[in-house]
Amino acid sequence: MDIAPPSTTKTPMILLALGFALLVIGSYLGLFVAPAEQYMGQVQRIMYVHVPTVWSWMLCVCFTFIAAVIFLFRNDLKWDARLEAGLEVGTLLCAMLCCQGAIWAKPTWGVWWDWDPRLTSVAVLLFAFLGIIALRQFVDDPPRRAVWSAVATIIASADLPIVYFSVKWWNSLHQTQSSPSTVSSAFHLPLRINAFGVFFVMVAFVMLRSRLATRKLREELV
Amino acid sequence: MQGVVTGGWGFVIAAYSITGIALFGYAAWLIQKNRERR
Repeated sequence: MDIAPPSTTKTPMILLALGFALLVIGSYLGLFVAPAEQYMGQVQRIMYVHVPTVWSWMLCVCFTFIAAVIFLFRNDLKWDARLEAGLEVGTLLCAMLCCQGAIWAKPTWGVWWDWDPRLTSVAVLLFAFLGIIALRQFVDDPPRRAVWSAVATIIASADLPIVYFSVKWWNSLHQTQSSPSTVSSAFHLPLRINAFGVFFVMVAFVMLRSRLATRKLREELV
Repeated sequence: MQGVVTGGWGFVIAAYSITGIALFGYAAWLIQKNRERR
C-alpha cells in the first residue's frame, strides 16, 4: 500500500488568511455595529461565533464520514489521512462550540450545562471522536488502523442527524436551529461573514492537517 | 424588565477569547508542524 506525497501549502494558507480576515470583520460587526438583542441583550453577540462554529463543525463531521466511506471503498490511505484530519479538526470545533454554548447558557439558562437532548448528543459525538483519535494511537499497522477508525467514524457519525433533529424531536431546552431565516435581518451580515470565515478556516485546517497525516503515513510505510 | 438578560459583556469577551485562542493557537501549531516536516 502506497500514498502520494502531499501538495504545497499555498492554497490552505490563502484560505486561512481569508478566513481569519472575514472573522475579524464579522466579529467587529457583531460586537460593535449590530444592535443588542431585545431579551438576551449583549450576551446574544455570542451567536456570531457559536452558530458559525456549529455549522462548520457539522460540515466537518460530514466530510469525516465521507472520507471514511471512500477509504473503505477505495482502500486508498490518502483518504485515511483526510479522515485523521477531519477527526482532529472536528474535535477542536466541537470543544469550541461546547465552551461557547456553556458561556451563553450561564446567563440565559442559569446553568453552564444541562443534559438536554441537543447538548447530550453533541457530547456523545465529541467523546466518540476523542475515542477514535485515542484508538488510532494504539494501532501501529496503518492499513488496520485506517479500517478500524473508518468503521468507528461511520458508526459515530450516525449521531449527527440526532444532533441536528434533537431540538425538533424532543422538548429541548436548547433553541431550534438558528439561520438567517430565523433571526432578525439586523443580525444577518455578521452571522453570514463569520459563517464563511469559520468555514474557510475549517477547510484550511483540514487541508494542512491532512498534509501532516500524509507525511506521517509515508514515513510509516517506508 | 423581567426575563431580560442585563450586562453580559464579560461572557461575550470570554466566548470570543476562547474562540480566538483556539483558532489562532491551532493555526500556529499546524503552520509550524508543516514547516518542520517540509
